[in-house]
This record gives sequence, C-alpha cells and structure tokens, in this order.
Amino acid sequence: MKVLFIEDDAIETMKLQRTVAKFQIKYEITEAKNGEEALDYLRSDAKLPDIILLDLNMPKMNGIEFLRILKADEVLKFLPTIILTTSENRADLLECYKIGIAGYVIKPLKYEDYEEKLRKVFQYWEVVELVKA
Amino acid sequence: MDNKEINLLKKALERQKKARQQAEQILEQKSKELYDTTRHLQEANHRLETLLSEKSSELDGVFINIIDPYVVMDLDFNVINMNSSARDFLGYDHGRESVNLAKLVHPDYLEYTAESMHTLLKVGTLKNYRAKIIVRDGSEKFVQINSSLIYDKDRKPIAAQGIIRDITRETEIQDLLADQRRELDIIVENSPLSIVLTVKGQIVKVNKTFVDLLGYSEAELTKFHVKDISAPEDVEASKDLMGQMNRGEIETFTLIKRYIKKDGKTLLAKTSVSAFKNNKGEVTHQVAMIEDITEQRNLELQKEQLLKELESSNEGLKEYAHMVSHDLKSPLRSLNALATWLQEDYKDILDDNGKNQLQMMQEKIEGMDKLIDGILKYSSISRDTREQVQVDLNETVQHIREIIFIPEHVRVVIMNELPTLVADPTQMQQLFQNLISNAVVNIDKETGIVEVGSTDAGSHWDFYVKDNGVGIPKEYHKKIFEIFQSIGNEARSTGIGLSIVKKIVDLHKGKIRLESEVGQGTSFHFSIKK
Repeated sequence: MKVLFIEDDAIETMKLQRTVAKFQIKYEITEAKNGEEALDYLRSDAKLPDIILLDLNMPKMNGIEFLRILKADEVLKFLPTIILTTSENRADLLECYKIGIAGYVIKPLKYEDYEEKLRKVFQYWEVVELVKA
Repeated sequence: MDNKEINLLKKALERQKKARQQAEQILEQKSKELYDTTRHLQEANHRLETLLSEKSSELDGVFINIIDPYVVMDLDFNVINMNSSARDFLGYDHGRESVNLAKLVHPDYLEYTAESMHTLLKVGTLKNYRAKIIVRDGSEKFVQINSSLIYDKDRKPIAAQGIIRDITRETEIQDLLADQRRELDIIVENSPLSIVLTVKGQIVKVNKTFVDLLGYSEAELTKFHVKDISAPEDVEASKDLMGQMNRGEIETFTLIKRYIKKDGKTLLAKTSVSAFKNNKGEVTHQVAMIEDITEQRNLELQKEQLLKELESSNEGLKEYAHMVSHDLKSPLRSLNALATWLQEDYKDILDDNGKNQLQMMQEKIEGMDKLIDGILKYSSISRDTREQVQVDLNETVQHIREIIFIPEHVRVVIMNELPTLVADPTQMQQLFQNLISNAVVNIDKETGIVEVGSTDAGSHWDFYVKDNGVGIPKEYHKKIFEIFQSIGNEARSTGIGLSIVKKIVDLHKGKIRLESEVGQGTSFHFSIKK
C-alpha cells in the first residue's frame, strides 16, 4: 500500500516511520512537508497514493486548505484522506468531515498509544477496498 | 275848633285811617304769608320726617340685610354697631360687651393696621385692607375690609364703617395655588428634561434646562418657532405628527430629532409632545419634554462597537486557546516519543538512575498535557457557546460511572432520582465528572462510597456529591475553587477541575460550598437555577 504522509514536524515523521517499520507488512511512505509539496507530488507523474495521512497545523498551506483543494479536484477527490492531528478543536473536526475525510485521528500523548492507534488505522485500510487508479 | 282845623283833623284822621288800613292790609297779607309759610314748613317737615323714617328704616333694612359682616366703629376701634353677620363672623356682640376691633388683629398685622387707619383718616376711605384676625373661638381668619369715615355736621370724622369679607378660604387657596405653582416651577426648572411650551409651534415658555441645552436665552427662544431650532431634515416628520395631534388623532407623540444649538452644533434628543387642551377640547398648547440623548446614543454606539470587538476577541481568544494548546501539546508528544525511544533504544546502556529520570520526565510531560487540557476546557466554558437541551442527570452520572476509573472498593451511588433539566450537556458532564472523580480519587477507606443526590428547592435545584474520603482542611475550603490551586498530594492534579466546577455553577446562577472534616469525608453542595 502506498501512503502519502503530509507532516511538517521531523519528529512526527520519525514516529510514523518507526511505527510503520515495526509492522509486518511493508508500506511505501512518501513524505511531504506541507500542502504545496503534497500537491506538487500528486500532480506529478508519480503514481497516486492509496491513502493520505494529513496533519492539520502546518506552515504555508495548512491541512484544511490542502484538503479543500484536494476535494475540489475531479481525480484527487477520490483519495481517502485520514487526518492525523493534535488538534481537539471540534470546529476543525466538523470542517474536515464537511469537506470530506475518511477519518480523524487525534495523536495521543504517549508514543506507545500512538503506535497502537496507527496500527489499527493501517490494519483497517489493509482490509478496505481501495480506489485504484 | 274851626272848620279848618276840623278839616285838617279830619284829613289827618283820614290819612291815619288809610295808613292803618294799609298797615292792617300789609299785616294781614304778611300774616297770611306767614301762615302759608308755616303751613309749608309744617308740610315739608312732615314730609321730611316721613322721608327720614323711611330712609332710616330702609337703612336699617340694608344694615340688617347686608350679607357680609358690617361694622361701625369709633376712631378708637370700639364697635358702635354691627350687623348679625358681623356678630356671627366675629363671635362678639357689641350689645352685650364692648368690642374693640384692634384687639382682634393678629400681631403680625398691627403695624399695617395702624398705617391703614392713618390712610383712612387722611383720605376718608380705605379699600382692600387685608389682614389676619383672631375671632372669638381662637381661629385665625383672613379678612378684606373696605371702609369709609362717618362725619358729624361740622365735617369732623367721628366714626368709621366697614364691610368685612372673609377671604380665609380664598387666601388659603391662593397660598396653596402659589405653593403648588412654586413647587411646579421648582420641578419644571430643575427637571433634567428640557420642557418647552408652544402655541402652534411658537415657543412661549422654556425651562432653564432647555436654555442650558441650546445656549439661547429664554428671551431669544421665545422669539423662535420650533422649526427655527430644529434640524431641517427632521422638520417634516414632526410637522406631520403635530398635525395629527392638532386634529385630535393622537394625544401624544415621541420622536427622536436633532436640534441646532446657538453655537451651530446639533444635538440628538428624544422629544415627547403632549397636547394641552382647553375646556372645549381644543388644543391650545403643546408641551414638549426634550431629553438630550446625544451622549446616550454615543454610548450605545460605543457599546455596540465594544460588543462587536468583544465578540471577535472572544472568538479570537477561543481560536488562540486551541492554537496555543495545539502548539504546546505537539512538542509534548515529541518529547514523549523521544523519551520512550531513549528507554527502548538505550535500555542496555542506561542504569536504573537514568531509567528512573526518564520515567520522571514522562510523568512531568503527562502532567503538562493534562494542565493544557484543563486550561482549554476552562477557557471554553462560556455562556454563549452552551447548548440548551433536556439533560437527564441520571444518565449523565451513569455515563460518568462508565468512563472514569472507579476502583473495586469504591461505589458511586445515586441517592434519589435526579432531575432532568434544560442545560448544556457537556457542561453538566464536566460539572459532575469533576466532582465525582475528585471524590473517587480522594477515598482512603477500605470501602468508599460516593453519594450523589438532589432536592427541589423551588426556584433552583440543590445537589450534593458526598464522599467518605480524606476530607479537606478548613483553611483550603475557599482556596480550593481558585484556578491552579491544587491541594491534593497527587502529582497529577492540575488545580483546574474545581475551577471548572465553580465556573459552570456560576454560569447557571448557582452557588457552591463544601462541608468537610479531615478523615471523615467531604460533601460538595451546589445549586442550579431552574
């Protein structure tokens, strides 16, 4: 499974890579540091990812802005996008669901809890039928 | 005697005879004249007598029939005669006792009375003497007397007569009217409202407030028509309303209009106009009450502006709280991950001390995370964001029992059926959850009981959450509700929970207090307005 991971924080990226490395199934993780970078990648010739993991608070184009552009795109709007954020702001959550997301995961404080949550997310998407381009 | 002599004598006698006859004739005529005169005189006298008696009886009649008290006195004020009306009025009878009018005069009027007497003697008449007298029964009367002198045949004044009018009531009414007028004047002059009296829009009277308000003198204002001091754009509206009032369609009207002051500045005023009608129901005057609301309007505008600013700053603050919490929480997550990795990756290198320090670091990170959560929750409790729905508190407490950690030895008991009230469900949960988890955490007995109950207190509900835990020392009872004041020994307590409780109770116009004894337990009592 090919995953586009959009996150500006280096340690967060380390957390994800470390977590995914422990999984038995191998995943192809593509990193993007912000929305623009992610869009550049999605509009390039590269193969589209199966799912997107998206952080909300990022410099330049933030997560919600990116999501709007994504969901307005005739092709890209089919990409399931899961929000991975520290924000417990209900307004953010509602806005994301309104625009269209496949899930909203709040990053827990403890790393082991994070690992657990991420394992479940990946397991879920493992069994779900994906929109193959 | 000779013939000649005889003839002479005869002639003389003849002459004498004639003379005598003449004299007799004159005498006779005179006596007849005298007789006639006497007769005339007698007749005249008789007529006069009749006339006199007629006149005097007529006078007597007048005297008796004068309704007003009538008194004749000598020049020393002693009563010579008085009619029954005077006797009734004064309570004295000159027939039975000597009455001196000067003695009846009120001391305040003695000097004036002396002066008046002086005038009477000089001029012969006295009009409109007004004084207070004390009549026999001791009551004070106000009298008005018109008086004139009576002269003897030598034109020497010997007495004075006067008609007394009792003007006590009149004077009282006049005094009352004057008092009322004064009172009214005081009210009108000191009214914080400007008061203007107009006749067909022409200003006829204004109070000082209006003078001060516009800067024109009263003399200047009374030359003006209302429209002369009104802003041109408002003239039409007030003309229209005035027309309706003059036609009797409306009794009063109120409008907000602008006036132009002497210095050219305009002011905004609330103007209430009432019609003043005569007995026939025709509008004769208009009374306008004018209240300067320039300041008020400015304040209102300012208030609106402030409210808008407050709203947006509140909104901003909420956003800010989320931002801050996010930005503070993110690094904590990184710190936690890094500390965990240190422990995982270097567990062979780290000694117990190092591992212990990493553990302590993790605890601090957790404490910080809770603190941030608490602050966010506290700051998001507000009136304007709350929902108003039916909340069944039995369900709320049941839900709390399910989501919080309750050790085996502790029971949370609902003592009676809790009410269902209209409130914000999240706030109700925060309220009960904070109190119940506090209670649960503070149990130090082998068997812990946390009781939740309520009573209907009419205008509000009284609730309690009671535990048999460690109790809270008296000196902390007040401090405990202040934010960041943690008194627990628990390192994890943030000191925000009870501040949230207090804030929610305050928002619901309730009160909260606690009863506690160290070692026995604590009960929190709070009310929520229905």
